Amino acid sequence: MRVLESAVVKKAAGSLATLVGVAIFVFFMLRAIPGDAISASLGTEAAGLTEVQRKSLEEYYGLDQSLASQFFSWVGNLFQGNLGFSVRAQQSVLDLTAAALPVTFQLAVFAIILALAIGVPVGMLAASRVGKPRDVIGQALSLIGLSVPAFLLATTLLTFLAVNLGFNPNGLGYKTFFEDPVVNLQQMLLPSLVLGFGISAPIIRTTRAAVLDVSGQDFVRTAKAKGVSTRRLQFKHILRNALIPIVTMTGLQFGYLLGGAVVVEQIFSLPGVGRQVLTGIQQKEYALVQSTVLVIAAAFVIVNLLTDLLYRAIDPRVRAE
Amino acid sequence: MQSVAPEKAKSPSVFARILRSWTGGTSLIVLAALLVLSILVNLGVVGFDPIAQTPADRLLAPNGTYWFGTDQFGRDIFSRVISGVGSSALISGVAVTIAALFGTLLGLVGGFYRGVIDVFGSGLTNVLFAFPPLLLALTLASVLDRNWFTVAVAIGIVYIPIFARVTRGPVLSLREIEFVKAAKSTGMASIGIMFKHVLPNIYSIAIIQIALSLSWAVLTEAALSFLGLGSPPPAPSLGSMIYEARTLVLIAPWTLWAPGAVIVVFVVCLNLLGDSLRDILDPRSKEVNS
Amino acid sequence: MTQLNRQSASPIKALALASAAAMVLVGCAAADEEQETVAPTASETQEPAAVGGNMVVGITVDPDTIFPWKATQFQAFRMLENVYDTLTAFDADLNVVPGLAESWEISADGTSITFDLRDGVTFADGSSFGSEDVKYSYEAIQDEENAAVARSTLGGVTSIETPDADTVVLNLATADVGLLANLTSVNLAIVSSDDTEESLSTATNGTGPFVLESRTAGQNVVLARNSSYWGNPTPLDTLEFRVLPDEAAIAAAMSAGNVQMAVFSDPITARTVSGGVTVNTTPQLSYHALMLNARNGSMTSTDVRLAISCAIDRQSVLDTALLGEGEVTGPITSPAFKSDPNARPCPERDLAKSAEYLAASGNAGGLEIDAIVAQDLYAGAVDIAQAVAAQLAEANITLNLEVLESGTYIDRWIAGDFETAIALNGGRPDPDGMYGRYFPSTGNLNQVSGYSSDSMDKLFADGKVEGDPAARKAIYDAVSKELEDNAVWVWLFSGYTYTATSDTITGFTPMTTGSWQYLRTTGLQ
Repeated sequence: MRVLESAVVKKAAGSLATLVGVAIFVFFMLRAIPGDAISASLGTEAAGLTEVQRKSLEEYYGLDQSLASQFFSWVGNLFQGNLGFSVRAQQSVLDLTAAALPVTFQLAVFAIILALAIGVPVGMLAASRVGKPRDVIGQALSLIGLSVPAFLLATTLLTFLAVNLGFNPNGLGYKTFFEDPVVNLQQMLLPSLVLGFGISAPIIRTTRAAVLDVSGQDFVRTAKAKGVSTRRLQFKHILRNALIPIVTMTGLQFGYLLGGAVVVEQIFSLPGVGRQVLTGIQQKEYALVQSTVLVIAAAFVIVNLLTDLLYRAIDPRVRAE
Repeated sequence: MQSVAPEKAKSPSVFARILRSWTGGTSLIVLAALLVLSILVNLGVVGFDPIAQTPADRLLAPNGTYWFGTDQFGRDIFSRVISGVGSSALISGVAVTIAALFGTLLGLVGGFYRGVIDVFGSGLTNVLFAFPPLLLALTLASVLDRNWFTVAVAIGIVYIPIFARVTRGPVLSLREIEFVKAAKSTGMASIGIMFKHVLPNIYSIAIIQIALSLSWAVLTEAALSFLGLGSPPPAPSLGSMIYEARTLVLIAPWTLWAPGAVIVVFVVCLNLLGDSLRDILDPRSKEVNS
Repeated sequence: MTQLNRQSASPIKALALASAAAMVLVGCAAADEEQETVAPTASETQEPAAVGGNMVVGITVDPDTIFPWKATQFQAFRMLENVYDTLTAFDADLNVVPGLAESWEISADGTSITFDLRDGVTFADGSSFGSEDVKYSYEAIQDEENAAVARSTLGGVTSIETPDADTVVLNLATADVGLLANLTSVNLAIVSSDDTEESLSTATNGTGPFVLESRTAGQNVVLARNSSYWGNPTPLDTLEFRVLPDEAAIAAAMSAGNVQMAVFSDPITARTVSGGVTVNTTPQLSYHALMLNARNGSMTSTDVRLAISCAIDRQSVLDTALLGEGEVTGPITSPAFKSDPNARPCPERDLAKSAEYLAASGNAGGLEIDAIVAQDLYAGAVDIAQAVAAQLAEANITLNLEVLESGTYIDRWIAGDFETAIALNGGRPDPDGMYGRYFPSTGNLNQVSGYSSDSMDKLFADGKVEGDPAARKAIYDAVSKELEDNAVWVWLFSGYTYTATSDTITGFTPMTTGSWQYLRTTGLQ
């Protein structure tokens, strides 16, 4: 256990360093984008500003400070739980993120559940008869999942369902699960289908490879020789041992989903964190973008850390180390 | 892992082996056909000028003249789609080259020398990894003045950490292997050892990764264009064609299915090619797949 | 009202009509009223709106501020027009009509305007409206520190007097005939003297027909009926501006009946909406132009500028880049002062004349010039740039397009750092409001316009004080003539906007200014 603890502490320290790097990186990269909040909100009207007006606006948007002082006041505030303020929304970034993160989180969880529900059975079926039709179908399914862009699938679904069947829950305006569970679930249906289908592909592949890998190992051969039934063998022995790479892949995909659902959030009008970053970049809302990106990165790092822990808990070899 | 010589001897046969596999062969032929076609379109030999507008021929359904129909500006969709595949391949190719060059170098140097360089390299890799790929590409694409090359650079940067990570591990173990140690003991300069003995042994890993990354890069480029951050219009791009088509699809479905089908075929072929390359080059996966 | 009203029952049929839209536009305008009565509409549009109901307007981004003096974004502007009032207002034909001021009197020399304010007006918080609120608002707008966007409109106001609670007197340095029209902007909204920018950034407190009920970032803004509004109470209980980031998603939501109104930037999207929907095509005051910076490089030569002007077929650029959805325009788009679009040294494209001008400028062998183009600021910029470049190429002029990210484009535009620029500039109902900032040498955008002259300064000074409408029109015709004769810029055309309204709504009139002020008379059936 001591070994495990020290490994976890080391990992956590590394994660913290990564987040510091992300903070520095996002801060300076954002400011390298041409234009600022003034020109983003006024457009060419900004040409009419007098010197005094421009100064006053720079103060308003917090652009009058030096880069270093902007950076340190941001980081300083972060430690006090203050993620900054969105001038546009007249709301703290913390409040905005607290509203947006659950949307993306719910979407990611649903997508992962769907992906596992598709991916694990298909992967196992494929592995059970290598080279046979079910394997070919499984592999083809994963190939399509890998190759169809999410935005293509999302656009097609939205257009045809909304126009031909009049099914467009996402046009109702977003409702949280607590406000209206039925509408909320309907709104999550199509986007999580789109994302879940895409993620089922790597899950199929990982499951198939892991099951084949495990099947070839000695203990399975022994069990087979002992006359353990195929079904029992599949579920009890093989799947359990094949779980490790599947868990790892699931964790990785979940981490990516937290920031990678931008396009789907945009098409289905879901107010998640990805869209928050996208509009923030367009509006040059520095505080909003840098804090949200940091939150996404932190979530990613935490998910990875948890995956790592889970992995250690499942894998007997790592535990024994 | 073997030494340098056998790797080299094996490489000419890789191509032949891809061609021999059903999926690899087909995908290679389809990809080659698409690329040749796109060169011909851009040279003006086949189809129409992909950006020339013929207002009189707006939104025509596929016919003998316009094989995939025309869009809202009366541009030939076939020529645009094919030329779009070409520019997508160019951008993705350059992006993956950038990622492979810098990523492999980062993994190689970090894994070989360890120490401060490695800490810095791994740190950078972790930082880039913690960024959601599309958001990173999006931010980078906004920083740079946009043209096809800067889009490629943005996508390339996103995929640098993958190359750094997949190469660093093997380099770490190679470093402890006998022949490297032997080379060291003969007094060979460490840079020489790194490039002469270690690098050739991670070629196959890098090549597999290149093949896999190409399809991701194509999808990332398409997603960026879909969000309006790809190479600027009117240059034909599959992502922005799909973006424009989503409002046209009800009255002119071909505007969506043509670029949609072509991008799927393109990415499927890249994936198949990547898979068969991996089957051939990676002994471990071959065991599993055969 | 130049407006085309059309039922679009079937999107395919609507599309077939689309190409004809530009040609029949002028002809249809006069027949518009008859069309309403002759052609039976799917729903009884003539019926008075029933009171009550919640209407949803689809928008792609949420309003970026709720503070009227700083609003420039389309969505914010349109929302706030329904929450705040101004001293004067426009009717549907852009005539100046009473707003918070019931009537006004202009002194003989035009340097003082006395407004008689409306009685019985209260702010949404219950406090009463009076002359001190007008004085407070206008003085705050004039204060540079407040960075109000319409500060220059009040630049000529030297003092504001409040003889009594119902009377406001604006004293002007010189007469300013356009002022009454310019005061209609919501950027000059009257707020309560008890309010500050800070208090009005999180809640609204206006005298208008609606009050802000809630605002959720990235999702919606909901307005509710202001029960103490001085005018006719609005038929709607609530008015929601719902954010659906993609125009296709808005069209889908309209087809499914979730959204009752939306403005689309391109005609095709508007017409893909299925079900009982009317698409109104409204010409805009804003105009597309190739701006020539007469202080930069080869553009300093009038001959070069004329060569460019003569080489461009505006209609053909319009046909290629905007599918003919718009109308060719001269400099002034304000309806009462409209420039004759054909009054130019070359009314038609004339390559021979262009070549003559080019030779006269000493560039007989051809010329290479740079143009900045915004990539994602507004739709069609790159298409227009390409069409213009293709035409100039035939006149031996190479137009090098610098396609820029919007931030970079805006920075360079503001600095006047360009030889030529493909631009979409806003228009105003009053020509002084429209160009008074660009072409007089003292205008705050003169740096960007790249041109000034003594005669231009004098014309704008005269136009400001001339009270007689016919004489004033003559002055701005002269402005227009000087601009075209010197090919100061190349004015191309104005586009349309497409307002799709569900047939269940009544009482809405789209305006050429893009205003949604008629949401206050809109009801649901």
